[in-house]
Amino acid sequence: MADRDVDGYPVGDVLPVEGFETVPEGTNLLVAGPAMTGKRSVVLDLLAAGRGRGDRTLIITTDASANRIRDQFEAVGGRVSPSYLQTIDASGSGGSAGGEGVQLVSSPSDLTGIGIAFTKAVDRMDDADRVRLGFLSLSTLLQYVDRERAFAFFHVLTRRASAAGYFGAFAIDPSTHEEQLVNVMTSVFDGMVELRESASGVREVRVRGLSGVASAWHEFPL
Amino acid sequence: MHESERTSVLVVDDDPDVVRTYQRYLEAEYDVAVAFDGEEALDVLESTDADVAFLDRATPDRSGEALLGRIGERGHDCRVAMVTAVDPDFDVLEAGFDDYVTKPASRADLRSTVERLVALDEYARNVRQYHSLVSKRAALGPEETDAESERSDRFSELDARIEREREFGVEPDRLLEDAAFVTAIRAIDDDARSEADG
Repeated sequence: MADRDVDGYPVGDVLPVEGFETVPEGTNLLVAGPAMTGKRSVVLDLLAAGRGRGDRTLIITTDASANRIRDQFEAVGGRVSPSYLQTIDASGSGGSAGGEGVQLVSSPSDLTGIGIAFTKAVDRMDDADRVRLGFLSLSTLLQYVDRERAFAFFHVLTRRASAAGYFGAFAIDPSTHEEQLVNVMTSVFDGMVELRESASGVREVRVRGLSGVASAWHEFPL
Repeated sequence: MHESERTSVLVVDDDPDVVRTYQRYLEAEYDVAVAFDGEEALDVLESTDADVAFLDRATPDRSGEALLGRIGERGHDCRVAMVTAVDPDFDVLEAGFDDYVTKPASRADLRSTVERLVALDEYARNVRQYHSLVSKRAALGPEETDAESERSDRFSELDARIEREREFGVEPDRLLEDAAFVTAIRAIDDDARSEADG
């Protein structure tokens, strides 16, 4: 089968969830899990699953330096040369220098700066037809920006990503926010990958909001 | 935007002929205020809220860029287009402008710029309003937080559809244009700031 003719973004091996094989173009998923449930790895795995097709990756980080993100992405098999990976480092960590593959933004609160960096990062990709967009993480951004502004920002960002036919994965730690805040944020997204630890201590995952994917919990041992 | 129905526009240029011409182009549809230098522009903004400002890049006492900085510092929620004789050799968006118009600007250039910027500002406001609606519903609807899946899935599906089909006044495709995308985000940033100040 010619891979290039497949519509959507293959994610087949990432989660043990039946039906979660390909994410349609223009889909933005919230990846929600408390600390230690590996939501960052899930986001990075969802992005790296595009390597076989030559998908480009754009990662916006508010909680780790671009260098760390690049190392982590490389460790899960992602392609990290600047024509494949562009990172927007809004962590304010000072841990990375701007460069071919990195756009620096002074702080997570500089939403306009993140927006401008996004347009530049897309410009720098030699081919921006198929892009997987990662956001790490909403929870950090919400420490700097009030909810209404954050909501509106993610609304605009996901609409643009969707109109461009990208696939977005946005991490959030629901245990650090009121339940209501998480519910409100989900309305910006098309679906949700939820991670939790079961009573017996096994990690579980479910996918909600995607057609053809049942929303049952599946064991997903760490 | 201020209370009245009409959009208000501020024109800043040190050339009185240019100011008069732009005023004539715009006053049938908008409330137009004028200023001939940067100080005057700031004074005008103290007493009237402009929705859109046209700043000449080369106003003598302050360059357009410096004036833009002052407008930002004072928390005026105003979209700003630079008017320039030559195509700018720098990133206009990064410099803080929402758009630019090249001289000589025609009636159509000015009007389409106003309409475009007002639409994006309104989009930002609509999204904020939508946030308050969704927040209210989340506060009321326990079914949304129900862990048992089928039903709550239908709810979130419905929400997603409402979201997609809702009229925000700006088609998603418009956001593929970098200037529109950045202006929409800047309008969100500015709204929050002027609210915090007020």
